[in-house]
Amino acid sequence: MVSTVWQNPVLLIVVPLGLAFFTPIIGLIRKELVKYIPILGMLFNLTLSLFLLPKVLDNPIIVSLSGWKPPFAINLFVGPVGILFSILISLVGLLTAIYGINYIKKGAVEKYHMLFLLLLTGATGIVLTGDIFNLFVFFEILCISSYALVAYNQDKNGIEAATKYLIQGSLGSAFILLGIGFLYGLFGTLNMADIARNITTVDSPALFIAMALFITGFGVEAAIFPLNAWLPDAHSSAPSTISAILSGIAIHIGIYAIFRVLYTLFGFNSIFTVLAVIGIVTLLIGEMSAFRQENIKRVLAYSSMGQMGLIIFALSIGTVDGISGGLFQIITHTLSKSLLFLCVGYMVYSTNSMELSSLNGLGKRMPLISLLFTIGVFSLIGLPPFIGFPSKLSIILAGLKTGETLFLILIVLMLLATVIEGVYFFRIIQILYFKEPDKEERFKTPFTLLFPVIILGLLIVAIGIYPGLLQEILDRSAEIFWDKLSYIKIVFGG
Amino acid sequence: MTLQLILLIGFCGAIITYFAGKILPVLREIFAVAISLLLVGMIVYAYGRYSQEIAQFGFLNFKIVFTLNRLSWLFAIIISSLSALSIIFSLSYMKGKERQDFFYMMMLFVSTSMLGIVFSGTFLQLFIFWEIMSWSTFLLISYSKGKAVKAGLKYITMSIIGSMAMLVAVISLYLKFGTLEISVISQNIDIASLRYLSCIFGLLFLGFGVKAAVVPLHTWLPDAHSEAPSPFSAILSGILIKMGIYGFILMMYMVVGIKIFMTLGVGWMKFHYVFAWLGVISILIPSFIAILQNDAKRLLAWSSVGQIGYIIVGISMGTGLGFLGGTFHIFSHAVFKGLLFLTIASVEYRTRTRDLDQLGGLIKKMPITFLGGLIGVMGLIGIPLTNGFISKWLIYKSLFESNRMFLLLFSLIGTWAAILYGYKILHNVFLGQLPEKYRNMKREPVFMQIPIIILSLTVILSGIFPGIILKLINNIAFSFGLESLNVNMWGVVSETGTLNIRNIFFGILAAIALVSIIFYSAKRSWKVSQDDNYAAGAFVPVEKYNYTVEFYAPLYKMIRKYLKDVIDIFYCWIAGLVDALCNGIRKIYTGDIGTYVGYILFFLAFLIIIYLRG
Amino acid sequence: MIMIIEVVKIIVLPLIALIIGIFLMGLARMITARIHWRYGPPITQPLIDMVKFFDQRGISHGFIFDFGIILSLAGSIVLVLFIPFCKIAPLSNSGGLLVILYLMLITPLGIALSSGASGNPNASIGISRKFMLALGYEVPFILIILTIMKSYNSLSLIDIVNVQQAGTWSIISSLPLFLTGVAYFLILPAILGVRPFDMTTAPQEISSGPKVEYSGKYLALLSIEHALTLYIGLTLFVNLFLGGSANFILFFIKILIVFIIGLFINAVFPRFRIEQALKYLWGIPTLLALAGLILTMII
Repeated sequence: MVSTVWQNPVLLIVVPLGLAFFTPIIGLIRKELVKYIPILGMLFNLTLSLFLLPKVLDNPIIVSLSGWKPPFAINLFVGPVGILFSILISLVGLLTAIYGINYIKKGAVEKYHMLFLLLLTGATGIVLTGDIFNLFVFFEILCISSYALVAYNQDKNGIEAATKYLIQGSLGSAFILLGIGFLYGLFGTLNMADIARNITTVDSPALFIAMALFITGFGVEAAIFPLNAWLPDAHSSAPSTISAILSGIAIHIGIYAIFRVLYTLFGFNSIFTVLAVIGIVTLLIGEMSAFRQENIKRVLAYSSMGQMGLIIFALSIGTVDGISGGLFQIITHTLSKSLLFLCVGYMVYSTNSMELSSLNGLGKRMPLISLLFTIGVFSLIGLPPFIGFPSKLSIILAGLKTGETLFLILIVLMLLATVIEGVYFFRIIQILYFKEPDKEERFKTPFTLLFPVIILGLLIVAIGIYPGLLQEILDRSAEIFWDKLSYIKIVFGG
Repeated sequence: MTLQLILLIGFCGAIITYFAGKILPVLREIFAVAISLLLVGMIVYAYGRYSQEIAQFGFLNFKIVFTLNRLSWLFAIIISSLSALSIIFSLSYMKGKERQDFFYMMMLFVSTSMLGIVFSGTFLQLFIFWEIMSWSTFLLISYSKGKAVKAGLKYITMSIIGSMAMLVAVISLYLKFGTLEISVISQNIDIASLRYLSCIFGLLFLGFGVKAAVVPLHTWLPDAHSEAPSPFSAILSGILIKMGIYGFILMMYMVVGIKIFMTLGVGWMKFHYVFAWLGVISILIPSFIAILQNDAKRLLAWSSVGQIGYIIVGISMGTGLGFLGGTFHIFSHAVFKGLLFLTIASVEYRTRTRDLDQLGGLIKKMPITFLGGLIGVMGLIGIPLTNGFISKWLIYKSLFESNRMFLLLFSLIGTWAAILYGYKILHNVFLGQLPEKYRNMKREPVFMQIPIIILSLTVILSGIFPGIILKLINNIAFSFGLESLNVNMWGVVSETGTLNIRNIFFGILAAIALVSIIFYSAKRSWKVSQDDNYAAGAFVPVEKYNYTVEFYAPLYKMIRKYLKDVIDIFYCWIAGLVDALCNGIRKIYTGDIGTYVGYILFFLAFLIIIYLRG
Repeated sequence: MIMIIEVVKIIVLPLIALIIGIFLMGLARMITARIHWRYGPPITQPLIDMVKFFDQRGISHGFIFDFGIILSLAGSIVLVLFIPFCKIAPLSNSGGLLVILYLMLITPLGIALSSGASGNPNASIGISRKFMLALGYEVPFILIILTIMKSYNSLSLIDIVNVQQAGTWSIISSLPLFLTGVAYFLILPAILGVRPFDMTTAPQEISSGPKVEYSGKYLALLSIEHALTLYIGLTLFVNLFLGGSANFILFFIKILIVFIIGLFINAVFPRFRIEQALKYLWGIPTLLALAGLILTMII
């Protein structure tokens, strides 16, 4: 339970939010200080989340905002899944912010950092909240910040991408709102635990339509096929730090939202089979579309799409092992994809081009960055001894454990997609190391750019060799994520 | 503790070598050689200490077990010794090449991961080290740039497909047996039905077969082995393809057990039968394709595919004799093929070419290399007194005793094909006239001579005293439940014909002595340079008096059209299809916002329709 | 005592082989001449030539040039020890037919090394033809050996000879073996390297092929080797198919008959080209031998 003020999980949301609003003020005083604010905020979040983690593994914490007990108040449900996500968000946010010190130089710098903090706040809020409308609010904060940040570079591609993202995202948000409306109409409450408690009393098609609306709405952000058409443009035209955040955090939050709604609110178990198939379809289409891309950031964006499909598949297997595997894959993808985008950011910046051919021979000119890029790629494909291997292994195990032939076929398709993924990524590695570079001089990479990627690389290797580090946390989180009844029990006390 | 220590030293040593090279170039060479020799020493020390070690930490929920048994030890000693010799060889070969830190690190990485494979006590570890071996090999193959990049990509694509099949098999085994420990699974093998085992075998065949380059999974080998840097080609041909064979032996003999294995299959198409025939096709056709090659390394690469066929034929017989022959051939092929690749590497180092049409007469300039090449080719053909002869004799004998006459026929024809291409490579490189541009060539450096001499001695010694290795393999066979053979220092004794190397050895020795006496007691001959040659009365045309191009021209004309690698063409065609498919798929993302919105609405409608349908 | 007898056998056998071989070589030239309506050289001509060669000084192109010849002759001598002549068969039990197949490789390999080192393209062409020819006749030859091995279920030549002595000659003992025997007879000229299969040493085309740079003692050794090769090819045939013999005279007569029949063909045929040779060798003899093998396996 909460003992001191500084350990209140609410601070995870409040502190970055406050800092975000502070940023323009600080910007008026001293421009150079602005870039350190997100670092402060995320550092705080990271320490608090790490501190809270062991506590919530046993008992998730409920925090009621406004002192009233649920279901009459908005409450936070701070469970292991939430804290896990919060750790990821703050870690990646911190590292990207450090990277951004030297990377974001042109344009409206204070606005960038403010929106950056807002985005991260929104993300943290989504994973910690227990109220459906609250979730929607934070979701909107997330989305709107990301629309703006995609267009940050103010070039034609960025604005076009942001506009398309805006249109599709708004459509998604509208669907979510509609869904919430349906739920409110049916249950008269917006508290997720309350709705969950009463879900069995109502049996009307409106319930299913609400679920469909939620899946579609959150699915736009989560990049399910065919709702993910915005992703390649947005992730490739945004500045690389934003791409890292979008690919590493934002789309995972979308998935979290879908599955929180599905596991906790609704009780339609048949939807999971459909989602599993859709997941594998997304994976295949994502990887196959990445195969022929000539632009390095688009390759990574399509790869993100594919990986989302894989995570959706894992979470739809319908067993605790599957969820554990899915969460593991989320961690893998977050760490690896942000690592990749950060490395690519520097590569693109140095060579002034996003074409694959401009990467020729960069292995010699920026050895450390290329090495870390290789580590990221290998872990994404799932090669030992990197983190991608145990996570993919868990997913395959969970899938085959069900014993159903459908899942066997889906697993085989997943492996096929891995082969395709492997081939195009290996091609890129060969371009990096084994093609002749255009010029010969070495690049001097600034330390603030190197430090985040080194940390990510070390994490990837460490967890890859000792996945047992995460094993317990993941299993427990998966259990709590899946178990609707305990959710209700914890929220309502007892 | 020792096994984990060995692996730890190997991997950390690789990384240290890389960084040592950044400090001082000579430091990395010292480290590389020291660590590889240290590994050899530790493995020699571990002889006889067959044991199992359970590691303290686990991986996910799996135990990690390291084992050393006789089979592992045999492979381990081959792996470490050949790697050490190749690294010593690279000291001279890699002078002046770029990224040497990376090269040495990767060489150590590859050998350590191979050691990891043979020390694995669980299938999970096998898979982990298998993957590490795959990607480190990929990086090292692509090292030479140019054509090597495509070769590396072909290799890794086929390797990944194999690995994915292997992964499905491994996980399926886990779900069936509840554990991945090899010893536990092999004890409980009876709970699995024959059909299940056949499916597992099919999957594992894909995985191990790609690495072992069994026809039809061999198409990556010619490109990869010829384009890789030459000391690494020696390791590739010498050991890497044997890893696939290790997997097969593991499955066939240790896990499933040979009795059950002989019954696996679909209807009349028993696995071992198909296996043996695939082995024979591997012997026959690639050996003939090797005759047609003009690139020395490509010729040796195709020859490797052929020799692997011999090993597969041997082990798929299911008898003690066959296993003895097949496994001995693993050893002899590693030695003589490594020797041949190092020989060609040393020629390539001095002459900068591996085109057989351009070389010639190098025997005068590089006598030690010639000796290595001669002994290597003799081992390849299987001349008595080399280890190749022992293994071939054993394999043929086992084929005869198992009454597989047609397999025996094709294997023997394969040997003659080996003679043809073996002599071609000897003649075109070392015999004949020396081209002008090589007249002032220096001899090969010391570091190249040492491995060649050591390997040549090994070929001859293990050919004369085969008992040393035969006893070891015989014990392995016995531990697998095969009948043990009467093995002595000189060969094998059995009712249907004995192999007694001692008599052959002394016979040949005596005959050579006798003839030498006659020879040298006759009048001494004048030493004459090669320019002083018969040219039907005309002057000897310098530079043009060498016959190397189209060495077996009439044969080429006859068989060339039958020997295209159709499987390779087939695979490239499939790859093209997949590429076109991917290109088509990415067009779903049209770029038009209208279509995107349409997709969203379509998805929503799709969900609702599914619900309404039930 | 037994040891001494064994040693005596080992020394005597190559000498016998040599004498028979030289005799056959001389006989060949005589009979060929008579067929050509010439007078021909005396029957001891090869011996005279050999002595003359030993008396001359030759040239050498290096160590391998010397060593190759030594190796090939040594290989032939060892091979002779493995093939039973009547009851003399010192090393027959050290490997059997498989070892014989392999030892037969040493001889051409030795010559190949030696002539390759001579640096003359004619030699190289000759050797490449030799190997191609070998590939040609090996296919039916292996089939033949396999059929024999399968029929008698043994690798040992001594056993095969003993069975034939106890029973009948192989060639008439059963249909498959008859076919195989005929096939062997058809490829015998190729194994012996006589016309029409002497494109290896084609005096007019490639200046004697491998022999182009040989002189003096090398030619002498080469003649010895040729004699031994003749002996080996013929005795192998006699042992495998015509029952061997316990009696010197009978054995010798069998060799003679086979040789003379072959000689008659040799004397009137022109030389084949290598493609024709391959087509021929992979044609009828292979089919006959294949039929023999299949029949043996079915029965």
